[in-house]
Amino acid sequence: MLFEFDSDQRLWQKTIHEVLVKECPPALIRGIADEGADPAPLWRVYADLGWTELTEPSEAVELAIVLEELGWATDPTPYLATMTWFTPLAPGVADGGQTGSAVLDGVSARRDRDGWVLSGVARHVLDGDRADRLAVVTDAGVFAVPAADVRATRVDVFDPTLHIAEVSLPGVRVGDDARTGADPRAARDLALTGLALTIVGACRRVLELTLDHVRTREQFGAPIGSFQAVKHKAVDMHVALERARALAYFAALTIAADDPRRRLAASMAKAAAGECQSVVFRNGLQLFGAMGFTWENDLQFALKRAVAGELLLGGAAEHRALIAEEYRAAHV
Amino acid sequence: MQLTFDADVERFRAEFAAFLDANLPSEAETGERAYSSAHVPEWARRWQRLLFDSGWLLPGNPPEFGGRNASILEQYVHLEELDRRRIYHSFNPQGLGIIAASLLSFGSEEQKRRWAVPILRVEITAALGMSEPGAGSDLASLRTRAVLDGDHFVVNGQKIWTSGAHDADVLLTFVRTDPDAPKHKGISVLLIPTDTPGVTRRPFGSLIDRDDVDFNEVFFDDVRVPAENLVGALNNGWHVANGSLGHERTLLWLSFALRLEELARDFRPVDALDRDAYARLVMDAQALRLLGSAALARAARGEQDVAALSVLKLLGSEAVQKASEQAMESAGVAALEHPGMTAPYAHLNLEAFSAGWFERYARSFAGTIAGGTSEIQRTIVAERVLGLPRS
Repeated sequence: MLFEFDSDQRLWQKTIHEVLVKECPPALIRGIADEGADPAPLWRVYADLGWTELTEPSEAVELAIVLEELGWATDPTPYLATMTWFTPLAPGVADGGQTGSAVLDGVSARRDRDGWVLSGVARHVLDGDRADRLAVVTDAGVFAVPAADVRATRVDVFDPTLHIAEVSLPGVRVGDDARTGADPRAARDLALTGLALTIVGACRRVLELTLDHVRTREQFGAPIGSFQAVKHKAVDMHVALERARALAYFAALTIAADDPRRRLAASMAKAAAGECQSVVFRNGLQLFGAMGFTWENDLQFALKRAVAGELLLGGAAEHRALIAEEYRAAHV
Repeated sequence: MQLTFDADVERFRAEFAAFLDANLPSEAETGERAYSSAHVPEWARRWQRLLFDSGWLLPGNPPEFGGRNASILEQYVHLEELDRRRIYHSFNPQGLGIIAASLLSFGSEEQKRRWAVPILRVEITAALGMSEPGAGSDLASLRTRAVLDGDHFVVNGQKIWTSGAHDADVLLTFVRTDPDAPKHKGISVLLIPTDTPGVTRRPFGSLIDRDDVDFNEVFFDDVRVPAENLVGALNNGWHVANGSLGHERTLLWLSFALRLEELARDFRPVDALDRDAYARLVMDAQALRLLGSAALARAARGEQDVAALSVLKLLGSEAVQKASEQAMESAGVAALEHPGMTAPYAHLNLEAFSAGWFERYARSFAGTIAGGTSEIQRTIVAERVLGLPRS
């Protein structure tokens, strides 16, 4: 097994990164957080560049590269929800450039003469308030529902550019043709992997900013990065990041190859990313000292995105319980 | 990115697997155990010689040195196949992996013929004399002196932690030949036969067991060593040291991955806390394999990224330690039993079979101390990977 990017993948990553440095700088994030600027033009940039067309499972590694970089940039658009929550549950439903998300629980489907009636309330739906379409998971299957048919309210959250909504379906009528036929169990793997990559990207940003800080901040006549206590904390961040990044791309690769380990790999990716953000948040914010504890410091955006990723779709401990079960079932 | 090796590597694996299936020593043959890392029982000598003669000992070497010019990926699957059958290719691992390898890189043709080949064919065994009482992590502070006197060096000083020295025929010894040069620049390397007058070896037990005797103190009192036993150029020993240790670094992570996979096999989680630790162990093992294979790909292209290998050593050795501790705690008071029978029976690897959980946890500290402590590894990574300033 050779686990490194090929030359096309390296070029792809470089391209994505350069676009985001130009199109999604900290000033843009700050404008959205502080002044309520609209991220829609940025979404159109992604669509124009073809990033929203990475919908085939075989392109999972290329999609993963985009997602890691978007995590690095604290992406303010609904790209993650569209590409990893909606699309796997409703393949082929949205036109290029449309946004989507998914309602994963809380809704039941009742059959009637004309089709189906969907009822229920789902809390904490990523981008539920601004998606064009929603994939609604019920015991009777997955339904694709236009946003206009549901009531969605954005909830205030600690990550200032993240959209989380409460979504209610007050008896929404849909036809049989709204059922997508997707398997929620398989779709889950990409959603988890996408969050893991978002966390990994955000953690990479925190580490970069932290390293810049400890290299330049001087105390006692020396850069604080020359002190062993500081160095070793930074290394622990790096090691946790390397581990999480490897497992996140492994998960993407198992999806691309439809490898039987994909379910285990997705939980490993999510759990490792969760463990990584724990170390990176703790050491990163600590090493930045008071300077990191200000609204003015851009560190906050990546820090908050990393933790948000941990809290969505089950935290590290929940996934470790699944891993132990899954691994022992397969090997012992 | 790919999840499998190319067909040519798999063909190589199949060929070696067939060789192993036909030639692996049987249980009846392997009665005598190895007592130290330079004590090789007769059956293990026959085994190593067979590997050498068949080109399967160190497949990356040319045929005259026990190999078949195999690629780094082929060397990797070779080690995987050996481990799967729980046998070592050599019971004098430092002789093979460090000393013979150093001689092949830095020695003269005469030294290769006279010392490297006999070590590879285990006609003699070798130990590595690097550390001293005052030079452990700070190896370049070593003080054992060698002074040229006619056609001999005269050596005085002391080594310690010299694994297997009491059973070894020759020591690859790092000595100071220029006390006035900056400390990294005045070091040279000598091959010192252990039967030379003035060499005294004093083995001592490890924390594991009073009878677990691999460590040695070695004293040199006016030891006369022929000048032709100088390995590499005079005062170029630091370069040799980096090369010597580099030989074993590229695939060192694999041994930690294998320990983790053994732990995943042997550790039976009982409660939720155990299962939580177990999942971390499974993740560590998978991550190490993935990161290791990326390092392997770099090595296959001829890139040597020593600092990145430090990340793997750190991750692997600490993961083994954490998982061993959890397995010990899970076993409760039964973990105290010594010997403890925590691994399946394997006639080629009785030590693992008979180790209790407390012993396995204690042994894990060899991983975080030997070959550069975790603290040293963190400093290397901080300075050479993360670019933080030296203190």
